[in-house]
Amino acid sequence: MGGVEVTRITTSSDPRLLQVLRGVVRYRAQEAGFVEPDAEALAMAIDEAASNVIRHTYGNRHDARLALEIWTYPDRMELVLEDSGPKVEPGEVHPRPREDVRPGGLGTFFTRSFVDECSYQENFPAGNRLKMVKHISRKAFPER
Amino acid sequence: MKVQIRKANDVTILDCIGDVDLYSSPHLRETLMEQMHAGNPAVLVNMSDVSYIDSSGIATLVEGLQLSRQTKTRFGLFGLKGNARSVLELARLHKVFAVFSDEPEALERIPSIEPFGGL
Repeated sequence: MGGVEVTRITTSSDPRLLQVLRGVVRYRAQEAGFVEPDAEALAMAIDEAASNVIRHTYGNRHDARLALEIWTYPDRMELVLEDSGPKVEPGEVHPRPREDVRPGGLGTFFTRSFVDECSYQENFPAGNRLKMVKHISRKAFPER
Repeated sequence: MKVQIRKANDVTILDCIGDVDLYSSPHLRETLMEQMHAGNPAVLVNMSDVSYIDSSGIATLVEGLQLSRQTKTRFGLFGLKGNARSVLELARLHKVFAVFSDEPEALERIPSIEPFGGL
């Protein structure tokens, strides 16, 4: 496979569908040649990003829109997650320090740990568009 | 995900089966809270059939740990593998919880840990 392929999925923000998103991303990553731990890391990245949207952007509403694009390049995979919620200010999204042991606050840290690049698309007109990039042949699991 | 409850002497074991994510973690949370408040002296979570856990699942376990300190319940995990072990280590929580390799070790050692999660 040498070209660019894209898979698009639109779902509701129902947490039951997280396993579907994980499954599709895992499958596409394996098909693209990612080693098993990297395919799992990509599945975890989409799970954490979508969970964050459901909990924080949509306030646990289950009937809102989530759209995922999976772009497969010869050297990398890009996951683009789009929502229709209020604008997220990237500067205000801070993972909590791991030394601070309390429930919650790890989702953003995990999302960023499982991919090589993670950024919001600036000037996206409505909602948010989060792009996560992982290159093939990087270290399998994030440094601890 | 399913959570099955069983007893081994005075120890309550929660067998978790399946993925623990934003959808399923409230069920684990509810079961953990019930068992902690029920006055059980020790609660162990069997993770050997958990192939996937995300930050909401980790948050649930941390809540369980915090509650165990209030209720003076001995609390631990065993059977962590693959994704579950990696995620706990990534969050640097593997040394915060009392983590045992398997059920026999957990049952042998849980009575001797401090009743607030093994710190």
